[in-house]
Amino acid sequence: MLLSTPWRLWRSAISTLKSLSRPAPVRHLSIPTDAVCDADTIFALSSGHGRCGVAVVRVSGPASSMVLRNMTGLTQTLPPPRTALLRRITDPHTKELLDRGLVLWFPGPHSFTGEDSAEFHVHGGPAVITAVLQGLGSLKGVRPAEAGEFTRRAFHAGKLGLTEVEGLGDLIHAETEAQRRQALRQMDGELGHLYQDWSSRLKRCLAHVEAFIDFSEDELIEDGVLNQVDSSVHRLQTEIERHLGDERRGERLRNGVQVVIAGATNAGKSSLLNTLCQRPAAIVSPIPGTTRDVVEASLDIGGFPVLLSDTAGLRDGLDSVEREGVRRARQRVEQADLTLVVVDSTQLPTEPKQAPTFLQGYLSIVLPQPSGGNPEEGREATSDRVLLVLNKSDLVPEAQKERTERELRESLGLPPACFLSCHTTTGLGDFLAVLQSRVKTLCGNPLSGAPSLTQARHRAHLQQSVQALSQYHQYRNHDLALAAEGVRLALTHIGRITGRVGAEEILDIVFRDFCIGK
Amino acid sequence: MLARKLPLILHNLPWSVSSRAGSDLARRHYDVIVVGGGHAGTEAAAAAARVGAETLLITQKIATIGALSCNPSLGGVGKGHLVRELDALDGLCGRAGDWAGVHFSILNRSKGPAVWGPRAQLDRERYRQFIQSELLSTPRLTVLEGSVEELLVSQSNPNEPGHHRVTGICLVNGSQPILSSSVVLTTGTFLSGSLFMGQTTTPGGRIGDAPSCSGLSHTLRETLGLRVGRLKTGTPPRIVKESVELSLVQIQTPDKEPTPFSFLNTHTHCKPEEQLPCYLTHTTPGVERVVRESLHLNCHIQQDSKGPRYCPSIESRVLRFPGRQHQVWLEPEGLTSDLLYPQGLTMTMPPDLQLRLLREIPALHRAEIRTPGYGVHYDFVCPTQLNPSLQVKSTQGLFLAGQINGTTGYEEAAAQGLWAGVNAARAALSLPLLALCRTQSYIGVLIDDLVGRGVTEPYRMFTSRAEFRTSLRPDNADIRLTPRGFEEVGCVSLRRYKEAVRVRDSLQEGLAALKSVTLSSTRWREKLGNISLSESRNGSLNGLDLLQYKDVSFEMLAAIFPEHLSPYLEFSQRLNIEAVYRPHCEKQSREIERVQEEESLSLPPDMDYLSLPTSLSSEVRELLDRVRPNTLGAATRIPGMTPAAIVHLLHYVLRTAQRNQHTGQRVKAACKP
Repeated sequence: MLLSTPWRLWRSAISTLKSLSRPAPVRHLSIPTDAVCDADTIFALSSGHGRCGVAVVRVSGPASSMVLRNMTGLTQTLPPPRTALLRRITDPHTKELLDRGLVLWFPGPHSFTGEDSAEFHVHGGPAVITAVLQGLGSLKGVRPAEAGEFTRRAFHAGKLGLTEVEGLGDLIHAETEAQRRQALRQMDGELGHLYQDWSSRLKRCLAHVEAFIDFSEDELIEDGVLNQVDSSVHRLQTEIERHLGDERRGERLRNGVQVVIAGATNAGKSSLLNTLCQRPAAIVSPIPGTTRDVVEASLDIGGFPVLLSDTAGLRDGLDSVEREGVRRARQRVEQADLTLVVVDSTQLPTEPKQAPTFLQGYLSIVLPQPSGGNPEEGREATSDRVLLVLNKSDLVPEAQKERTERELRESLGLPPACFLSCHTTTGLGDFLAVLQSRVKTLCGNPLSGAPSLTQARHRAHLQQSVQALSQYHQYRNHDLALAAEGVRLALTHIGRITGRVGAEEILDIVFRDFCIGK
Repeated sequence: MLARKLPLILHNLPWSVSSRAGSDLARRHYDVIVVGGGHAGTEAAAAAARVGAETLLITQKIATIGALSCNPSLGGVGKGHLVRELDALDGLCGRAGDWAGVHFSILNRSKGPAVWGPRAQLDRERYRQFIQSELLSTPRLTVLEGSVEELLVSQSNPNEPGHHRVTGICLVNGSQPILSSSVVLTTGTFLSGSLFMGQTTTPGGRIGDAPSCSGLSHTLRETLGLRVGRLKTGTPPRIVKESVELSLVQIQTPDKEPTPFSFLNTHTHCKPEEQLPCYLTHTTPGVERVVRESLHLNCHIQQDSKGPRYCPSIESRVLRFPGRQHQVWLEPEGLTSDLLYPQGLTMTMPPDLQLRLLREIPALHRAEIRTPGYGVHYDFVCPTQLNPSLQVKSTQGLFLAGQINGTTGYEEAAAQGLWAGVNAARAALSLPLLALCRTQSYIGVLIDDLVGRGVTEPYRMFTSRAEFRTSLRPDNADIRLTPRGFEEVGCVSLRRYKEAVRVRDSLQEGLAALKSVTLSSTRWREKLGNISLSESRNGSLNGLDLLQYKDVSFEMLAAIFPEHLSPYLEFSQRLNIEAVYRPHCEKQSREIERVQEEESLSLPPDMDYLSLPTSLSSEVRELLDRVRPNTLGAATRIPGMTPAAIVHLLHYVLRTAQRNQHTGQRVKAACKP
């Protein structure tokens, strides 16, 4: 599934790079060449999520002062530049109190992005963050930032140098990946079905309008087709509007770091889950393939919220239930912030020198193969997002264990590995320490993608989609080309959530539904 | 006019260089040689000559230059856009259509100016005459009858394996080669073409014409190593008009006031009242029965393993959408022709069954067939091997246009022909090659789709392919293309340029004048009578605002403000359209700028993606190496590319460009904001 592609982002990177490669631009005075493209004001959560006392929401762009006024009730004056001010933060439309927090005003060019910017420091709870982000998203001309967009704008304004360009590519990669994982999670389940359904209905509407435009005068396409589109568009508008209006219908956000336990059958994954939960959440047995579905547990690790999932052992399943379990397991690993790859230590080669190779092979089976990305980046990302758990260490001779540990420490490209026995709990302390530091890093890193921001982004696209659909009705009776443009825009916005829709896909539907001649 | 060069050539067949030494015909070296005299070939030859190249057009039969091999019509939805754009670039087909049309109508009249489809039924004879006389009176253009035996290319350069350069062509029976800097191949369905009717198969590209030589196909495949695919098309039987029961069909009348295709014409050659009607009838269950019963006798359909998504023949229609009535249009073939062309009845079954099928339709129950329908299988060169200039990437000087690139339709062929001709001439004259951007024209969309994505079925233009449809309208093709065609491309005459500039300036002034006339909504209502206007914020509305209302026209406003607006009455329709579309086009302009920005960054054609010293994954490297995008914009459209990979690529290219400032010949950035 393709998610909102940040092409818009790098395309502006182009102009930036081009302007950088021009001879001696007057950096801090240069006006962006494609100023129109940056006309939007963007916002993002620039702190982590989870147990953060304070969450920082950044806003950048020409409408920043308007945003500040609308969210804080500062109608007359703006706060003095670069000075923290304690304010009531309110919803721009309902004026409902969202939080009391600090606001800062950074007039351009003396800001990180070089543009007018603002910051809101609010309490770190998910409800407050969500409310603030939704408030921002409801303002005209303000939208959630694309992956890496703040950095890119900084870049654009000449705040970053050419040497940092290589880094930009990696940053975009990291943010895109994090957003992708985040969005995958949100798209999993009912909400995903809903968006997909809207997208496919819009596709059909567009295809039928296009068929009517391109073929109705030569081929047999009745006027009735358009009447159907009228009512479909109307229904879609109503449904999306109702969805946007009803806060409770939004799915519960899955907050916390997503940690997934994966590995071969009978490696002791469920035992690890039970050990970490300190209660039998999952059934354990010596029979391979006992766990067939995903078992979840919410934990608190060192004060950070963690959603731990145990998955079916990865093997070519014997029956359809198990195969489905394996499919879900792979899907979960794909979406995980952190994967605990469990290995049965007794399966390790007795010659420790061969252990790294063995484990590389094991990882390549358990983890999804990076698609299209940079293998270097992929490996780095893997070692950041994976821990190897060598379970059943009580069954391995101590000498072999020590020599293997040494080998693993010295070998490059492998994620950290911990020997552990769920049975005797030997090694549990060390493992928990590693796990906790990893979770802490993930929580503190805004790149891991806040669910509420993804939600705000989805809402923004849905809002724009509904707006575009009203253009359809406005022009339906006197300019079908402009009416179709409305449907096309609506589909583009939904497509930013569910995946881009190209002209060929529309033609596929046209040719499937209508008999079109040579 | 026809007599000027034609007899000279005809008398000198078989062609011989030595006997005509010193004369124009005896040239052994041309700037551009165009092979093929169809829609692509004629536009290519004329365009190359207009750009300033000494051009030779070689065709099997001079008599079939400008022949309409299939339907006797031009334009339509999407295709009409192409005709208007071709005309804006001084192409032939728009003016030929105005000369030869016998039934003009604007399709989609009620659906908005962006999708209006100017269309005409043509008199085949008159169309051919016009094209031939135009070509024969074009300076720097020589026409020669002959069959090309072989394409001459230089040996592959050992430093650049697989790279060739065109040097000319060899004719069948020609002792001497004819040399040229560029060659444009527009061989249509003749490349390894074979004709199908019932169970018989004969080599050829069009019935009644000799098959073309296998040498050409061999050179493209074996010497140049080009990937080719196979496509098929077909044509319906031609019916004797007298044998049709016209009382049983619906009559389709043309527009009362014919609208010319060409921006240079104010009226068509055919008088409004002399236009001919078209007729509409439908298939019956009997038609479906005949198709089913004859399937075992129908090679063309039997081989239909992986056909196109649309329905190219009546056979595919009734098989894919059974139990329905399908439309059949009976179109006139010309003012004096005694034939009708049944659009929608392309078929390839044996002729006796074709007759049986036709007679299942009530109006055709006594129908007589003059020539039966047939199918054609032919080779096409996978167009991803071309640059946006339509030059073959691996062979300098070789350009391809028309069905050889996997398209279908006269207009699609003509559009490529013109652009290939322009670039063939520019290459020969050592001028930089040019591309048309998809943000500027349907021709740009067509070429970008072809070279960027390739084809799996014959490519036909639809307006839904143009994402900037709101801006790319038939009414403004002159403003979009004519100035650039003159100033940069060099294929437009001064006369046309001056006219386009006059129109452009007048429209701008007209829009400014509209903006300058303001009244309160109450006052507007008083002046305009019963018009429902929504109240504006500050109470005053200008002329542009007023034109957003369906019931308000420029003429009405000009009557209120004659001193301001009457000078622009000549352009009232265009001003009406501009006023309505302007806000939408402005919304699109941001996206257009983005695309143009990407398109303006060209990637060196010889880039070694596999060993580029930048961090790209091997998948991305292979992707880039296989597709070899021409611009960064094209690279982003490759499925599977990642944003991060693009940034790395961009960084590398810019760094390299900075280091060596200049990089040899390549397609010049096409899109000017």
